Amino acid sequence: MAAAALEVKDLSTSFRTDDGIVQAVSGVSFHLDQGATLGVVGESGSGKSVTFLTVMGLVDPRQATVRGSVLLQGEEMLGASQSRMRQIRGRTIGMIFQDPMTSLNPVKTIGWQLQEAVLIHQDVSKKEARRQAIDILKEVEIPRSDQRVDDYPHQFSGGMRQRVMIAMALINNPEILIADEPTTALDVTTQAQILRLMKKLQAEHETAIVMITHDLGVVAELADQVIVMYGGKVVEQANVDDLFAKPEMPYTWGLLGSLPRLNATGARLDQIPGQPPSLLNPPSGCPFHPRCEFVMNVCRTELPGLDASTVGHDHRFRCHLDDEARNRIWTQKKAALVGEDAA
Amino acid sequence: MSSNGSGSELLRIEGLQKHFPVTRGLVFQKEVGSVKAVDGVSFSLNAGETLGVVGESGCGKSTMARCIARLLEPTGGTISFEGRDITHLGRADMRPVRRDMMMVFQDPYASLNPRKRVGSIVGEPLEVHGVGTDTERKRRVQELLEIVGLNPEHYNRFPHEFSGGQRQRIGIARALAINPKLIICDEPVSALDVSVQAQILNLLKDLQDDFGLTYIFIAHDLNVVRHISDRVMVMYLGRAVELGSRDDLYREPKHPYTGALLSAVPIADPEQGRTRKQIILEGDVPSPLNPPEACHFHPRCPRFVDGKCNVDTPELVQHGSHLAACHFPLERWPMSEDEMRRRTGAASVPVAD
Amino acid sequence: MTQFLIRRIFWAIFLFLVATIITYLIFWVIPSDPAALAAGRSATPADIARVRHFLHLDEPIWKQYLRFVWQLVRHGSLGESFVNRQPVRTIIGKDAPVTASLVFGGAVLWLSLSIPVGILSALRPRSIMDRVTMTLVLIGISAHPVWIGLIFSYVFGYKLGLTPIAGYCNFFPGTVGAQCEGPVQWAYHMILPWCTFMILFAALYVRLIRANVMETMNEDYVRTARAKGASQRRVMVQHVLRNSMLPVVTILGMDLGLALGGAIFTEGIFNLPGLGREIVGAYNRADLPLITGIVVFSTIAVIVFNFLVDVTYGFLDPRIRPS
Repeated sequence: MAAAALEVKDLSTSFRTDDGIVQAVSGVSFHLDQGATLGVVGESGSGKSVTFLTVMGLVDPRQATVRGSVLLQGEEMLGASQSRMRQIRGRTIGMIFQDPMTSLNPVKTIGWQLQEAVLIHQDVSKKEARRQAIDILKEVEIPRSDQRVDDYPHQFSGGMRQRVMIAMALINNPEILIADEPTTALDVTTQAQILRLMKKLQAEHETAIVMITHDLGVVAELADQVIVMYGGKVVEQANVDDLFAKPEMPYTWGLLGSLPRLNATGARLDQIPGQPPSLLNPPSGCPFHPRCEFVMNVCRTELPGLDASTVGHDHRFRCHLDDEARNRIWTQKKAALVGEDAA
Repeated sequence: MSSNGSGSELLRIEGLQKHFPVTRGLVFQKEVGSVKAVDGVSFSLNAGETLGVVGESGCGKSTMARCIARLLEPTGGTISFEGRDITHLGRADMRPVRRDMMMVFQDPYASLNPRKRVGSIVGEPLEVHGVGTDTERKRRVQELLEIVGLNPEHYNRFPHEFSGGQRQRIGIARALAINPKLIICDEPVSALDVSVQAQILNLLKDLQDDFGLTYIFIAHDLNVVRHISDRVMVMYLGRAVELGSRDDLYREPKHPYTGALLSAVPIADPEQGRTRKQIILEGDVPSPLNPPEACHFHPRCPRFVDGKCNVDTPELVQHGSHLAACHFPLERWPMSEDEMRRRTGAASVPVAD
Repeated sequence: MTQFLIRRIFWAIFLFLVATIITYLIFWVIPSDPAALAAGRSATPADIARVRHFLHLDEPIWKQYLRFVWQLVRHGSLGESFVNRQPVRTIIGKDAPVTASLVFGGAVLWLSLSIPVGILSALRPRSIMDRVTMTLVLIGISAHPVWIGLIFSYVFGYKLGLTPIAGYCNFFPGTVGAQCEGPVQWAYHMILPWCTFMILFAALYVRLIRANVMETMNEDYVRTARAKGASQRRVMVQHVLRNSMLPVVTILGMDLGLALGGAIFTEGIFNLPGLGREIVGAYNRADLPLITGIVVFSTIAVIVFNFLVDVTYGFLDPRIRPS
């Protein structure tokens, strides 16, 4: 069993703002295996992005308080020196972000930006860096890469720019690629291209991928393991088949049930009432309780522990409902979903 | 079960065009070309129906919506509302029509005036059309807030005090204010969290049932469109490439682009996702400034036939159960990309393979 | 590119016409009698009438204007001053270097100050240094140049005797009858004027640069650069600075162009014989050709600098290249 590429234990990040303290991430634990894909599912306020910005050391230390442990191939990253973090960023861990239209410097050519990624971490000549840039552009399927390397970002479409971002993150062959909603801003056909590209690159480079997204379809397509985040906490984690086959927690049920599906008829969607929580004043006890249709008194006061499921390997969730109730509820909900599918 | 649109014809669009001129010139601007954002779209809509319009960026769906609502002046074609040609009506004549046709927009953060109170925002259509007294309007606004699931006592709050989903409800309340017949929804749930999307979709359906509304529902998310529509129109670079009833279109798409769209959507089911045949198009969506010759889709189409698809523009005609604009429509569904390439069909032009 | 240039030239001519026509119109409307002023105190009505005829002031205003344009196009001449019959061109030629010294020297000073201060403030928002800077900025913007000039004059010039309080020295030696000359004297006499002139601009630019740098630091591509492992220095120099300076270039061009029309207050306080002081005098004497001449010069300065700004902007920002 290979060592985990990334092991996060009890990570918490809070920010000091003018309005008070925002507890963006609290007590988050997970691990990422070498070469595997971890899907991180959550909506606004779930803390999914902040978790990985913290891992990367990209949160402003003047405003943020970080606690816990982040082990990168066995090495503790929290508390590491700035220069060590800079070595890791872009070399051991690459990160790509959501909006390709604004994530590239508009006044520098993409060749220059790719070369910069190389020159920061590798002790090579500019010529060599340029060669690497052209090679990686070819790998991400940008046509005429030897010419386009001298173009500016505004001369590329959104899908192309995202490919450039991926190229930039992978050019130093990192162990881990963190992708924060990489396809949310793209058209669906472009998204399909990018996802296929990521799968291909992962296979070739054996990179572990963290796929942060709100789109359960993307998770189903790409992930091996999934964690579901809500209100800054992990509320469920499982391998992807188990999560979709037998989700164990009302929020996950709600997410799956509220998806309009290609195969379903226009029945009423299983909606989750209310909206995602404010992290300034997080709900007490279970973060989901204000919106949960099965809420009990204990949910309001006590945070459920991350219990192991009886089904599935390494499937954990937070919920106070007992096994019998949960099984019953999910069987009902599943029947409703399948009933739709059958139509 | 969604409404079935058995009512009379409410809206008829024929050959709608919207071209944005591109000018060049020193002193006197000369038109050297145009962006054909909408290039000949036709459909009709019956009362009580929901027409879903789906397409990617640059397909012209938003521009079309604005033309129908007469926020933009069409360059060509006709728009008939309740049998009356409203394509080029002047402002005064359009006024009564606007009572029946309202829009809900995509960005709940940008479509509400941040300086106005919610009550004033929702009540504005009433004010503009001179409906009722002040007290009557207030009562109506509170009624509307309740209908869309908001607390009527929040009448005096500002938009920034509400969440995204709630703001979208405000936008919907505003659209409902004067009892329109048609509501054009331009990507109303795209900017919302998944868990909130479902609320708004359910709300829209309930309102349709309660008030006999007709919807044009524009979205890029095929799942969402599937859920809410009776009929669906697929657009590509300013043209309608497929138009049919929802079930027909999703079960048996005829146009290769529709097939590619359907297969590109990630499925929230790992098992299905692994086993299905996926068609991945090459290249980007071309720019509407310089669309490809004849069939706009031909450079990316797996079924492309040289000499036919780049020469003759396919018309939107009946193929089986619904309309598609393709010379070599798909024979069945699902198909893999390879299967798509092997097209059958009477081609009097030598098939290049 | 040529299209761009041609369009610019058309605009330049158009602006020139508008500016000069308005000048003539204003002159026509205001009640003043340049003939009387030019003729002098002891002139008789007959003298005045003769002067009026000589200066073409008895002609309709539009004819005077056309005469002006014709003179300019045909002879390249801006006419002669009503008062001392000196060619306007010569007067401007003498005054422009003075104003230019003030403006460009001041610009160098204010940029050298505001750029580092602005950047440092942006890097440490709400720190003590930042707060002090912002307070000083507020004072700099609110204080009137005349007031500042007088205080400087008094403290550094009169009381401490460190610098001269008035007068201008030619940069290039060899002028007949000049009291002082040469680069050292020139700079020495310009120190106080420079400091006075630059304070307002420095304050404005610190605020502008600070805001721009802060905004740019929050851009997505800066986050990308950090995610690549770039050092703070690299992030600042390669990613933040160039992007945040773009608006500064635009505004700098405009400010320089306008200031060249005459830094009236500063020139007045320190008695510098520049365009600002000249035009005030010209107003008082209703000296139409001189006024028009300076207006023309000012307009041309603004046009030229706007053009330079556009070219520089295109050079700095590849999205905006005229192509």
